[in-house]
Amino acid sequence: MIFLAFRYLFSKKKQTFFTILGIFFGTVAFVGISGLMLGFRGYIIDQLVNNDAHIHIESREEFLSQHSLDQSIKFPALHVFWIQPPSGRKDNALIENPQQWYYRLKSDKRVAAFSGQLTAGVVFSVGKSNVSSSLTGCDPYAQVKVSTISKHVIEGRFEDLATGGNRIAIGEQLQKRLGVHLYQNVLVSLADRPATPFKVVAIYKFGNNNADSQAYSSLADVQKVNNTLNKVNVIAVKLVDFSQASFIAKTWGHFGLEKVESWDEINGSIFNVFAIQDFIRFMSTGSIILVAGFGIFNVLNMTVMQKRKDVAILRSMGYTDGDILQLFFLQGLMVGLMGTMTGLLVGFLVCKYASTLPAVHGPIDSGAGGTMQISFANGIYIQAAILSMMSAIISSIQPARTAEKLTPIEIIRAGAE
Amino acid sequence: MAINLVNVGKVIGNPQTRILNNINLTIADGEFVSFVGRSGSGKSTLLYLLSSLDIASEGFVEIDGMKVSDLKPDDLYQFRNLKMGFIFQFHYLLAELTALENILMPARKTNQMKQKEGYALDLLNQFGLKGKEKRLPRQLSGGEQQRVAIARALIMKPKYIFADEPTGALDSVNAKIVIDIMTRVNQEQGTTVIMVTHDAGFAQLARKQIHLVDGKIV
Ligand SMILES: Nc1ncnc2c1ncn2[C@@H]1O[C@H](COP(=O)(O)OP(=O)(O)O)[C@@H](O)[C@H]1O
Ligand SMILES: [Mg+2]
Repeated sequence: MIFLAFRYLFSKKKQTFFTILGIFFGTVAFVGISGLMLGFRGYIIDQLVNNDAHIHIESREEFLSQHSLDQSIKFPALHVFWIQPPSGRKDNALIENPQQWYYRLKSDKRVAAFSGQLTAGVVFSVGKSNVSSSLTGCDPYAQVKVSTISKHVIEGRFEDLATGGNRIAIGEQLQKRLGVHLYQNVLVSLADRPATPFKVVAIYKFGNNNADSQAYSSLADVQKVNNTLNKVNVIAVKLVDFSQASFIAKTWGHFGLEKVESWDEINGSIFNVFAIQDFIRFMSTGSIILVAGFGIFNVLNMTVMQKRKDVAILRSMGYTDGDILQLFFLQGLMVGLMGTMTGLLVGFLVCKYASTLPAVHGPIDSGAGGTMQISFANGIYIQAAILSMMSAIISSIQPARTAEKLTPIEIIRAGAE
Repeated sequence: MAINLVNVGKVIGNPQTRILNNINLTIADGEFVSFVGRSGSGKSTLLYLLSSLDIASEGFVEIDGMKVSDLKPDDLYQFRNLKMGFIFQFHYLLAELTALENILMPARKTNQMKQKEGYALDLLNQFGLKGKEKRLPRQLSGGEQQRVAIARALIMKPKYIFADEPTGALDSVNAKIVIDIMTRVNQEQGTTVIMVTHDAGFAQLARKQIHLVDGKIV
């Protein structure tokens, strides 16, 4: 029947063309919009995954409630009440025993690198400029493995922090606000303690105001300034496989008192945005494809009406009801197939073209100042093909069934009158 | 072998109207039978009952010893494809196909395109359509179209030809050509021809005439 189905389509070129066009546009829109959205998403996730550690181990900040201290009281007495119940925060912002974690992380094969950090709120001053911000102490060799900071250094060398002796790497924003240059000194003071001079050995720029207003130094130096020897408040962990982060974080969460969070938990809200994006993506392109399907439905029903006599004569020649079903179903299928194939191809070309355009600078700097990141994931093309073909197939079923049920005698009788 | 009608009746529609009443009829192989009668007397209805396109409300129809109502769909389709040829008042050619492609449609169903092509061209020659095999129906005259339709009915060398007023839409010259073809097929190939007509002259040509009045044979 494919022969006759093809002839039918070919004899109504214009009608066929416009029906194909509907599916074509739906497919192109799906591929194009998905390519753009998922490309941008991939870029964001890439940034989240690469720029920062995959898992953060932090001390748990505990807020006190009326019953927080119940166990510390030697005589649990129900009739004793607080005049003023315990409140506030148990100030325990430090990981008490980082060595235990280090030991565990070192022996875990899933861990690619880790870095203990101590971040302290300090005031930086140069001459009369004072900026209060935070200073993070870390092992620079470990730090470059868990974050991309070394790639963002614009002057000096991040690893020069390693020698210790009060050296500092500062963000570009902070540098500008202090008006300081490489190899000059910055005074760092914490609370009421006397200021300590630090020498600038590196300047970095992430393109993110918050990150670029901070500074890094070696862990030992910050511990000294903070007066908390051997203690850290965050252990940043890079995994071999970032997609396992949330699973691994969950198991580690049972080990100690510390809070263990994976990158996708830390950035949870972005995944809500992605879900909304997906909804919009499927709704908008889905409605185009739905309308296209409706077009196929209408055109096919019309064709069935117009070709009633053909059905009668074919049946009298011994063509079966199944043949008639095929005859009309194949028309819808071919329209869908042609629209989908051309749509996938053109969608691909549109994406290829878009990927040569300069990137739109979003909240996160694209770094290299490159081109738009467009996703060419197979999944997009498979989903587009499934959606478009489903629409064409579902639209064709009912008209084809109508044609299948026509009996030759009714058509001939109606035709004779 | 033959076509046998036993106490056949037909009622259709809602409210029900009786179209055929108690028809008993045998059409032997090789016969040329014509159905005559006024318009509305039930000729077409009878023809479609004979040819398995319609099913009797009462009684039964036997073709070659088998009850039509007992045939499995697949057998019925094969029956129509191999043993029956239909010619209607209006040609019912497929508008998108050429004359040759139209003639070969029954052969296409059973994958006999190759084997039948020579015969199709032969039929076109016999019917004065030489060189017109590539034409679409709309590029042919009414008489030519009807001859293509007859060629299509003959392509499988069927045992039975059913024709419902095949000359109804034609002028007298073309009508004569069509009747001549049917007579020749009947005489030369022994094909059973059953033809509905209301032209008394053409009906005379048939060896057996069946007159219908208000759904009854008289
Ligand atoms: N679909 C139908 N519903 C009701 N009556 C019909 C239908 N088709 C035909 N008839 C009636 O059946 C009778 C016989 O029709 P038909 O067999 O076509 O007669 P003929 O071919 O001799 O003109 C007519 O009276 C016609 O009006
Ligand atoms: Mg009639």
